[in-house]
Amino acid sequence: MKRISLIALVLVSVIFFKANAQEPTTDEKLTEVNDKVNGLLERLATDETDLQKLTKIKVSGYMQAQYQYFENPSIQPNNYFSLRRARVKFTYEMADGVKFVLTPEFVPGNLSVKDAYVVLNDRWSKAFSIWAGKFNRPNYEVEYSSSSRELAERSMVIRTLYPGERAIGAKLEYNPVNIPLHVQFALLNGADGITINNASGVNQNTTENKDFDNYKDIMVRATYNLQLGNFGGLDFGAHGYFGSFKSNALKTLSSDYTTIEDVKFGDAVKRNWVGGEFQLFADLLGGLSVKGEYIAGKNASIGYSPVAAVGTTAATPGVANFQNNFAGYYLYFIKNLGKKNQFAFRYDYYDPNTDITGKDVTIAKYTSADATTLKNRVSGKSDLATSTFGFALHHYFDDNLRISLNYEIVQNEKVGSAGLLTEDYTKADGTKVVKGLDYSNVINQNLLTLRIQAKF
Amino acid sequence: MKTLNMKKFAVVAVLLVFVGFAFTPAPDRITVKGSDTMVILAQKWAEVYMQSNPSAAIQVTGGGSGTGISALINGATDIANSSRKMKNTEREKLKARYNTLGIEVACAKDGITVYLHPSNKVKELTVKQLGDIFRGEITNWKQVGGADQNIKLYGRENSSGTYVFFQENVVKGDYAPSCQTLPGTAAVVNAVKKDPNAIGYGGAAYAEGIEICKVKKDDNSPGYVASAETIKSNQYPITRYLFMYLRNKPTGAMKTYIDWILSPEGQKLVVETGYFPVK
Repeated sequence: MKRISLIALVLVSVIFFKANAQEPTTDEKLTEVNDKVNGLLERLATDETDLQKLTKIKVSGYMQAQYQYFENPSIQPNNYFSLRRARVKFTYEMADGVKFVLTPEFVPGNLSVKDAYVVLNDRWSKAFSIWAGKFNRPNYEVEYSSSSRELAERSMVIRTLYPGERAIGAKLEYNPVNIPLHVQFALLNGADGITINNASGVNQNTTENKDFDNYKDIMVRATYNLQLGNFGGLDFGAHGYFGSFKSNALKTLSSDYTTIEDVKFGDAVKRNWVGGEFQLFADLLGGLSVKGEYIAGKNASIGYSPVAAVGTTAATPGVANFQNNFAGYYLYFIKNLGKKNQFAFRYDYYDPNTDITGKDVTIAKYTSADATTLKNRVSGKSDLATSTFGFALHHYFDDNLRISLNYEIVQNEKVGSAGLLTEDYTKADGTKVVKGLDYSNVINQNLLTLRIQAKF
Repeated sequence: MKTLNMKKFAVVAVLLVFVGFAFTPAPDRITVKGSDTMVILAQKWAEVYMQSNPSAAIQVTGGGSGTGISALINGATDIANSSRKMKNTEREKLKARYNTLGIEVACAKDGITVYLHPSNKVKELTVKQLGDIFRGEITNWKQVGGADQNIKLYGRENSSGTYVFFQENVVKGDYAPSCQTLPGTAAVVNAVKKDPNAIGYGGAAYAEGIEICKVKKDDNSPGYVASAETIKSNQYPITRYLFMYLRNKPTGAMKTYIDWILSPEGQKLVVETGYFPVK
């Protein structure tokens, strides 16, 4: 009996201890939960660190799909849908004061890099920043985003002087913290987006990632923002461009086609201009603005030397470099129509050659065709001024979506008499119209654009 | 043909300009969005104003100063509450979209308060020490006279005006990566309440159940807690205005509401909510 009792006691003790061993105490449970929470907190901290890195990357972009109708009979097809812009902007702010920006453009049939630059901000005074890479040239209309612009395209003077808007180079910006002054000083390759043909008509300036010559161009822009109390504000400023192309010809022809200057290959052909700008913002009738800019100076295009005849291949006449005095301006009037709609009007004018008028074009005095002395440049269509009346209506569905109706009335400067300057064109059915475009009249170049823009 | 086009579009242009000179009507229903610091105050204003003006409809939401200003720029709100000044980049966006520079209305003052756990031996800090702590250069309480414990940092998200103001005026650099960001000042206060080694910052109105740290301009200055007197006399070193931003000069119902906020009645609510009047 004793033995049985002893065995029972041992069994009960074993079961009791086993049960105790399996059941953790409250302290043990608490420790376990604490360990789990600490583990989770550690993971959370790691995840947060990773997440913080991601918050340094900002992605934005916009897409513009459009339908256009061209009234110009020489443009065929005269109406089509197209994707005007499709850009994604990646901004990585790796630390306070260091920013990388990359903006590829994905237009069908063409992938290109619009922006690719690094910005280093001075961390002490917070007033200076250095930019390097490919960025917008310092100019109001150039730097004003296409996604915000009130007319479908930039004005003609800006499109001519700054093709593609961007240039590769370096820029110093000064934005003092307590003064509404903005100063930009840029050193640029200068030939970005500009066509420089050889005797065969082949563009020599195709290497987008390096300069065409050893000359570097300087751009300076300074603006000041004046607050006008509750009325609004006036921003005003000026910019200058001081650059050169290397000569590929042995002569440079003056803007009025009368003076020829001997130059050497590689000599600098200067292109300098200055401009003044203003933007007035008024809290009147729901908000309106008037913006304008005037630019004048000397631009240049590069010629080439003649190619002698070889065997049965005929000689190609040379073309002199050309320096044209130009002037151009634009004036915007923009008005909100309630919260969702906006009306914009722009008049823009560009005269590529202020030294001769339309009546002077092709008149003998100015047609100095002479292949042997490399003066084979004659005045013509490229000397005629253009004025454009642009109208636009925008409807903002929300922050992301805008639909715009644009109409541009384009008027060319007329030449002196009928038949003096003409162009052939081909109709949609393939019929060629000889001398169909006569520049003694205004050629109908009006353009309708219906555009939808999605922005994120 | 050309002449016809010109005539046609001249007529269209004149019509459009004519339409363009129409006034933008003042909204009947006012939407207010932005600063989380100001949410309690803005809700109080709306509640009391609607009681005495039953025809008024005012909707208030938070989201942070940056969110409010973005909403103002894209037309999603009529008033943006902000605990910081509008940035130049934001003003440029407003110019581009609405052709105005916006209207800034300073509607209250606030002293950014530094929260500590009541058990913390540290009771006052200089602005420089606070900057060093939130940049992660001071990491242990014993470096500022406290216990030998690691400092736990709590702050706001980067869309918050308080985050920006504190960064520009106190941190003067990047926040330490270990600074845990929380959505709203109430969350910061709660986190500090629970953690003896925590430090956080936020609006004065939220400081309940925690120790308010006295702030010193420098080593030789006395420490102050944000109060009507210390803010008015510029003794408290981390003082800021709280703003309302509008797209245009207020008219109609909006003007009446803004005028009321700046009136003694509206400013009384500022004090009741724990902030300080503008005058």
